[in-house]
Amino acid sequence: MRSLAGAFFWIVLFCAVITATTSIDEDLNIPNEAETAGNAYQTCSAECLSSASEEISTDGLELTDEEIKVASMGNTSDSLSLYESSESIKYPFHEQLTLRPLPRSFMFASFEFLMRSNNFTVGEKESDFNAYRHYTVFPKSLSPLLEYTQTRQLHLRFTHGRWDSESWGQLPHEGRKSGGTGVELWAVIEAGSKDDAFHNWISLANSLSGLFCSSINFITAEKTTYPTSYSPLSDESSLPIFNTSNSLFLIRAALANEPICTENLTPFLKLLPTRGRTGISSLLDGHKLFDSNWQSLSLDVETHCNAGKCQYHMEQFIEMVFNVPNSLARADTPIPKPVQESELRCDPTKPHDAWQCFPLPQSRDTKFRLSKLFGRKIIGSSLISEYPSKVCANVTDSWKVFIDVNDALFSTEDNCFTIKYDNEHDLHIESTDTSNVVEPEPIPLFVSRSLTGYGQDSGGLRTVFRNPSNETVEASYFETLPWYMRIYLSSLTMESVDGLEIEDVIQNTYYLPAVDRQRPTHLNFKLLIPPNTSLALSYQFDKALLKYAEYPPDANHGFEIESAVVTVTRPISYELRTSTLLLSLSTPDFSMPYNVIILTSTVMGLAFGTLFNLMVKKLITVEEADSRSSSSTSLKAKLAGILGKIMRTSRKVDVEKKHQ
Amino acid sequence: MTLLNLRRAVALWFAALFTLVGIPIWYKLTTIYRAPLPSTYIGSIQENMHSDIHVVVPVYVRSDTYKFPDVHDAIQAEVNALIEARAGRLNWSLQVLQPESHEDLNPETDHVLTLVLDDFTGYSIAYDSKETAVFFDNEAVVSNDVPFFAAQTLVEHTFATEWEHFSHPSRERDDATTEMAISYSPEVHLSISLLTGDGRPVAWDIDSTLEQYFTPLRRFLAPIVNFTVDTSIVQFNDLNLGALQQAHNPSWLDLAHTVDLSDLSSMNHYREKAVLNLAVVFPSAASGSLAFINATSEKPWQSFMVPQWGALVINKDPLPDNSRLTQNYLAPVMYNFVREMFQFLGLSSKSADLSTPYTTIDSFKRVATLKNLEKGAHTLLSLTKLADQFPQMSVPRQVLDNVERALNLRLQIVELLNDPSQGSESTWNTALRLSNNFVQVCEKAFFDKAMVQQNFFPQEHKIAVYLPLLGPLTVITFTGLIKVLREKDESEAKRDETQKESEAEGDNNDEKQILAED
Repeated sequence: MRSLAGAFFWIVLFCAVITATTSIDEDLNIPNEAETAGNAYQTCSAECLSSASEEISTDGLELTDEEIKVASMGNTSDSLSLYESSESIKYPFHEQLTLRPLPRSFMFASFEFLMRSNNFTVGEKESDFNAYRHYTVFPKSLSPLLEYTQTRQLHLRFTHGRWDSESWGQLPHEGRKSGGTGVELWAVIEAGSKDDAFHNWISLANSLSGLFCSSINFITAEKTTYPTSYSPLSDESSLPIFNTSNSLFLIRAALANEPICTENLTPFLKLLPTRGRTGISSLLDGHKLFDSNWQSLSLDVETHCNAGKCQYHMEQFIEMVFNVPNSLARADTPIPKPVQESELRCDPTKPHDAWQCFPLPQSRDTKFRLSKLFGRKIIGSSLISEYPSKVCANVTDSWKVFIDVNDALFSTEDNCFTIKYDNEHDLHIESTDTSNVVEPEPIPLFVSRSLTGYGQDSGGLRTVFRNPSNETVEASYFETLPWYMRIYLSSLTMESVDGLEIEDVIQNTYYLPAVDRQRPTHLNFKLLIPPNTSLALSYQFDKALLKYAEYPPDANHGFEIESAVVTVTRPISYELRTSTLLLSLSTPDFSMPYNVIILTSTVMGLAFGTLFNLMVKKLITVEEADSRSSSSTSLKAKLAGILGKIMRTSRKVDVEKKHQ
Repeated sequence: MTLLNLRRAVALWFAALFTLVGIPIWYKLTTIYRAPLPSTYIGSIQENMHSDIHVVVPVYVRSDTYKFPDVHDAIQAEVNALIEARAGRLNWSLQVLQPESHEDLNPETDHVLTLVLDDFTGYSIAYDSKETAVFFDNEAVVSNDVPFFAAQTLVEHTFATEWEHFSHPSRERDDATTEMAISYSPEVHLSISLLTGDGRPVAWDIDSTLEQYFTPLRRFLAPIVNFTVDTSIVQFNDLNLGALQQAHNPSWLDLAHTVDLSDLSSMNHYREKAVLNLAVVFPSAASGSLAFINATSEKPWQSFMVPQWGALVINKDPLPDNSRLTQNYLAPVMYNFVREMFQFLGLSSKSADLSTPYTTIDSFKRVATLKNLEKGAHTLLSLTKLADQFPQMSVPRQVLDNVERALNLRLQIVELLNDPSQGSESTWNTALRLSNNFVQVCEKAFFDKAMVQQNFFPQEHKIAVYLPLLGPLTVITFTGLIKVLREKDESEAKRDETQKESEAEGDNNDEKQILAED
């Protein structure tokens, strides 16, 4: 009985919804104005009841639209396919892990994740009745954010540590995927005006701050620049503009003092469709990642449009460099302990016994498993992606790489392995000569920047460029300095042993001076550096005094100055960043305001007292005062009187004594 | 005036200026600005909630067969008697009108009561218009029961929602229905997710299903609520249902403390304030099927409602690899969800369904408008309370402006509701829109960020900072005043002096005598 009632309810509801639909659809052309609603109800209820009776007689269950259609046609169908078995369902997601040994027992690991969003139509409002947003592999948390801030490109970098380019060669991806120390964010925002763009930019920064658990919300106007030629965008012509009356704004900011930690990795992993549970991302663990010598998390989203349909393309990279012997030792003994005597490798050519040992250089043999480095194994492949997860090792002949599936080792020609199904995979890596690694790519330009000078009121910046190659290097030097570094561009000097002049090197200068508390200094040089030369650019600056609330809390080590960005355009395309700088400003005594108030108040009190006395006290001449004091009943006179009395009585006593 | 009196006058003037002008000016200049909020007015609104409102809904009565010349007045009298019999929180009434001609009536926009002669007595409310049909037989006409039938049908059935909300003395019932419902907001985001416990490839025909079944509903509900919808496939999230597998003999009652919705609710950037969720969950293959789900081969899922969050559709079995959920699967899920959604939106209570959508939605507009008025009034009252409780808190001008704007909006709404000549559908739409606006303005006034940040500057701090100035000035002025007041006039002083001198001479004489004795 209950099922009957249930079924009836379903039908009524179905009717209600369907009729609501049709009546609203017909709203526009109003076909039956004369027909009363009551009649319509009756006809519909008749239909519903008839279909219901048929349905109840067959099975008395809920109806789907298919069933009702079938029922009204008088045919009953028993087999309903709730699930359709597709050949294979693949989503636009791709992941790959690349390992590359670096000189001196370092290892570079790069986790690469590429994904694309579902299509969306330009100009379609979310509140349109037939507008639905669908998400599969592209993160749902990111898309609305890009949409309401009208961001067409988003680039976010979390970088920490030092890339030793002298020995490791070029940065990965020609430096395009790693930022300066701290957080770096730049975006292309579509807006009608610069103010609108800035408003969207702040909103974007605040949202990202919440999403990535970092202080990106500290980005304000005084940290924001609008670069003109910074980081050439992949292809500017392909950037879509949704509303032709708008224009695109490239906006950038960096926070040099932002520590990168595990809480930033977790949101990164949550953006992945595999959520760090399968595929190569199952290797990622905050403790191991942030133990490394250099690490970089990067996120790039670009909008690609084709005939009114747009799509977000996202690239996520998690990259790190770690010292293999150190990591392995830490995996064995998490708490560092002295090496056992038997395990010491002493130089036999030198005296060695139980008390002294000259250690041998590090062994060139190595043999380890990936699971020992990362603490976990790869748990299966990402089953939803177009291509199965891949692990590649970029090694020379002196290295051997095997994949371990169910305790069986396999190797391939190109050292690239496909992760299949949901088996656990591990990589076995061994080498007889760890110093034999793939030749690092030569660096086109070395740049180092440092602070000069002493004292708390002024200082200098000195940037050394060294071109080691035999070709002239064309580069752009982009620098953002906070407003409290008041630079004097007139003091720009160049030092060069080859006798180069500023005009020979700096082809073009863009300089936007800072405005206090409103915008930073924006400096951009176009440089031509001749082959095999080294030169230094330096200029002076004054340190401004901040307002007392603008100083960081007492426990601080200074103000971090974000890295300068050098973009090499010729002979090869490359991007590098200098290290950050630590600027110390004169810190005032913070009790000063209170002291000032007290001092001022005292002075005012004194002045008032003088004025008051002048007006209230009686003025008399000196003679008058003297005569008064002689005959006055003042305290002094009284005291004198009392003293006189005492003297007299004592004299009386003396006289009496004499008499006796 | 003697010199002394002049000096006294000067000192007095200083003291008077200091206390009567200086101190008040200092106080005024260092006091934070507190806009005068109309707290008595707001308090009286809260106290006599809705006392200035009288909702009037016009109803047209027509008769197809018989012509009753006085039926309107009779129904009106019966309706008034019925409504007055149960005193509620709010004054409302129906205005029974006679249509000028039948062609003018549009049952989709106006409430129409049609009297139909039939073999039995009864009523029916249409689901595709705002028409109520009252069936009567000849006996009823003879015994003059038709007006009473009509009135009862109107009050207790057609306007059941109003009868429930407005004519109910206590608010208890109101709270019971709002337990499930989200607070009313004109914009609601709907998030539909397909969750699987593992990372196996799945797909669903959600786009076509939504376009076919949900788009008409969005269009239909557009006057009261606008939806924005997103759908997503989420891997590796079975809302912690896998944990139930380890439990001993799990039942659906365990769901309440096992289900973990945090992943779905966090990391989202919806612009809408209200969000409803529909999660279709498949357990992971590793954890196996969920025995407690009461499922059949045709409906392999069971739906659960999470108050003010949304619906969970939990499937008994894991989804096979590479399967695509077809419309056959999704359509019943959507139907079920739509029914539940009416509850989440507060359109229907637990037992009721939406068989008469037109009248229900029309009533909902009125109820939502009045709830908005209450909500806004509460917010304003809280604002005045906050301002009273923190005497150090600044109340910027902007807050006052917003409060005034809100109160004006309220008056505007009240005027709309009270006007019996209006009452068409557009009136309720306007009233609802205005009331949404009212709530928004009230909240803007309450959540003014300039109000709280100054609260950390206590009065003692001010005294401490200004004491180095106030202290010396006070001491100088008042000691000076006291001194000059105590100073004696010169003539008096001279008299005193001569007295003292004579005393002193007496002393000298004693001394001389002593010396003479020597």
